Amino acid sequence: MTSADAASLRKDRHGRRPFTKVLIANRGEIAVRIIRACRELGIPTVAVHSDADADAMHVHLADEAVRLGPPPAVDSYLRGDRIVEAARATGAEAIHPGYGFLAERASFARAVEEAGIVFIGPSISTIELLGDKVAARRAATIAGVPILPGTLEPFDVTAPDAAEAIQVVAARIGFPLLVKASAGGGGRGMRRVVSPAALQEALAAGAAEAAAAFGDGSVYLEREIRPARHVEVQLLGDANGTIVALGERDCSLQRRHQKLVEEAPAPGLTEDERREVHDAAIRAAAAVGLVNAATAEFLLDQDRRFWFLEINTRLQVEHGVTELVHDVDIVREQLWIAAGEPLSQRVRDAAQASARPVRHAIEVRISAEDPARGFAPTPGIIGRWTMPDGPGIRVDTAVQSGSRVTAEYDPLIAKLMVVDETRGAAIERLARALDETVVAGIQTTLPFHRFVAADPGFREGARSVDWVDAEWPAIAEDRRRTALAEAARLAALAIGGDAVTTGGAVTRVASPSNGIAATDATRSTWARAGRAEAIDRWPR
Amino acid sequence: MSRRLVVGPSAPTRLAGDSSITVDLAIDLAGEGDPSWFVGQVRHAGPTGLPVVEVVVDGWRFELEVEDERRSILRGRATVERDAAAASGPTEIRAIIPGRIAAIRVAVGDTVEEGQAVLVVEAMKMQNELRAPRAGTIERVAVAEHQTIDNGDLLVVIA
Repeated sequence: MTSADAASLRKDRHGRRPFTKVLIANRGEIAVRIIRACRELGIPTVAVHSDADADAMHVHLADEAVRLGPPPAVDSYLRGDRIVEAARATGAEAIHPGYGFLAERASFARAVEEAGIVFIGPSISTIELLGDKVAARRAATIAGVPILPGTLEPFDVTAPDAAEAIQVVAARIGFPLLVKASAGGGGRGMRRVVSPAALQEALAAGAAEAAAAFGDGSVYLEREIRPARHVEVQLLGDANGTIVALGERDCSLQRRHQKLVEEAPAPGLTEDERREVHDAAIRAAAAVGLVNAATAEFLLDQDRRFWFLEINTRLQVEHGVTELVHDVDIVREQLWIAAGEPLSQRVRDAAQASARPVRHAIEVRISAEDPARGFAPTPGIIGRWTMPDGPGIRVDTAVQSGSRVTAEYDPLIAKLMVVDETRGAAIERLARALDETVVAGIQTTLPFHRFVAADPGFREGARSVDWVDAEWPAIAEDRRRTALAEAARLAALAIGGDAVTTGGAVTRVASPSNGIAATDATRSTWARAGRAEAIDRWPR
Repeated sequence: MSRRLVVGPSAPTRLAGDSSITVDLAIDLAGEGDPSWFVGQVRHAGPTGLPVVEVVVDGWRFELEVEDERRSILRGRATVERDAAAASGPTEIRAIIPGRIAAIRVAVGDTVEEGQAVLVVEAMKMQNELRAPRAGTIERVAVAEHQTIDNGDLLVVIA
């Protein structure tokens, strides 16, 4: 490769790099994702890590690494002071916070900027404003964006006489309604209330949970929309005040407000409906002066109306599906925006065309969680780790065989994404990819994803946000029982049969042309030989 | 070769309701459907001394103990007799996930109902309530708040 080729990425940006060095204040797959974007732009990177992650992939991939502290996040990845100090000590010009941890903490963004370092994300004032969900609702209303009926001022539930006033407001909103935390997200502090009699208790419980989680017990009320889909719009804004919508995603498959599957575009929308929700998102973002990347979240009700929920001022976990559909690199774009560059022509063109998407992408979150036990965490050491490959596949991960998944951090271990021309083709590709995927050593969410990829209801269109909590537990029990019967037969063969165990670990995937049924192992010597051969041929 | 084997999940992956399955190696072993599967190496390190093998079918992971049917029946009888003797004895609640004790909801001497929250374990940002498997009196609380726990650690004893 000549030096001209090597510089081609930077050529349209005046032949320079956005920054001379970037520190990534995160871990896991997102730290790896950001390091990759930096490397492609020729930017040296600094990783930070806890003692649990001293040997982690993001530490190995970065040019430099700084230890933050012991494993608990409060002693490491949430230590904003140490992260700023690490940036100073290593001479990093900018800090990318990733998602989670300090990504949406205005106090951290302020500390970064006061140290003379660029915070790669929205401005401090935007983070502050949008972190207050009630203020965000007010801003959206003023911008003419429909918000769910509810309150526009937070309640202090401990105030005297608060109870009666709240009952009056609640009656006007109507039941069932939701109590939500002003300071929060992720379902913490949230309570569903079906009748006036239950309101007082829900307010107290929600406020207490919010106070514990966010240090702020104020709550607000919002009408519950059921059934509904979760549709969110990817936003990018530059320092010149240009804001574009880079299409939308559907993230309706969630359990207790934790997303499991995301896709872009949202299935079943008309071009006009896409434009409607993109425009609403841009209006809300413009009202709060958005710069850099953010996501506006909406609920889509049965009458096909969009209701604004909130704007997240961070790179989303699921940004990859948008990248695959619109062929842009959102993290690269974030770096240029943070360096003061305007949005690239490529992004503007992609945004122009985003109401008429010509590709479809789906992401499944492979997490260390047990889908038969309410998605309880399953920390441990990963054994066999085989990720899919081939056309239209992207895997973002930071683990491999032998990696320890600790209980300290988020259970997400890999994001498997597929892209194809249509949604139907993408689902087929997902099913194929999942057939190639093997994770042993710990239980993961793969059984859920394998069900979804074959589920006629999902193929018909998106599920509503309640579907997993309502329907999955019974399906999980049934499917696990079937799997256990099959597993018992395989175990009996492995231990009682004589052919299967000799070669050590055995893998077969559901591909009739390659796999040989386990039953053949007991039928005859030549079948056993054929089977052993097939096993040896199969890529591990 | 006619050989009947009893296969069931060993403690780390066993869920309530899981039962052992008897497999006859001499007859058709064809499974339902065509799920993807993985079979690990056989270990002989189970607490029962039985060979244990990790099997992943359709994404579901099991650690399975395999035992000759005749031996299983003999052992089953012994277990039934022991269980009968222990039916009125204390019940131990053990950790099913590693993590940290976020809260303890009971004290020694408390009376608990079946399903009542006994303690809260925090793992991977999530709080998981552990509930009493049966009604009784708290005989012992073996952990303290904020203590780190491992799989299988004794947490609470209900008499």
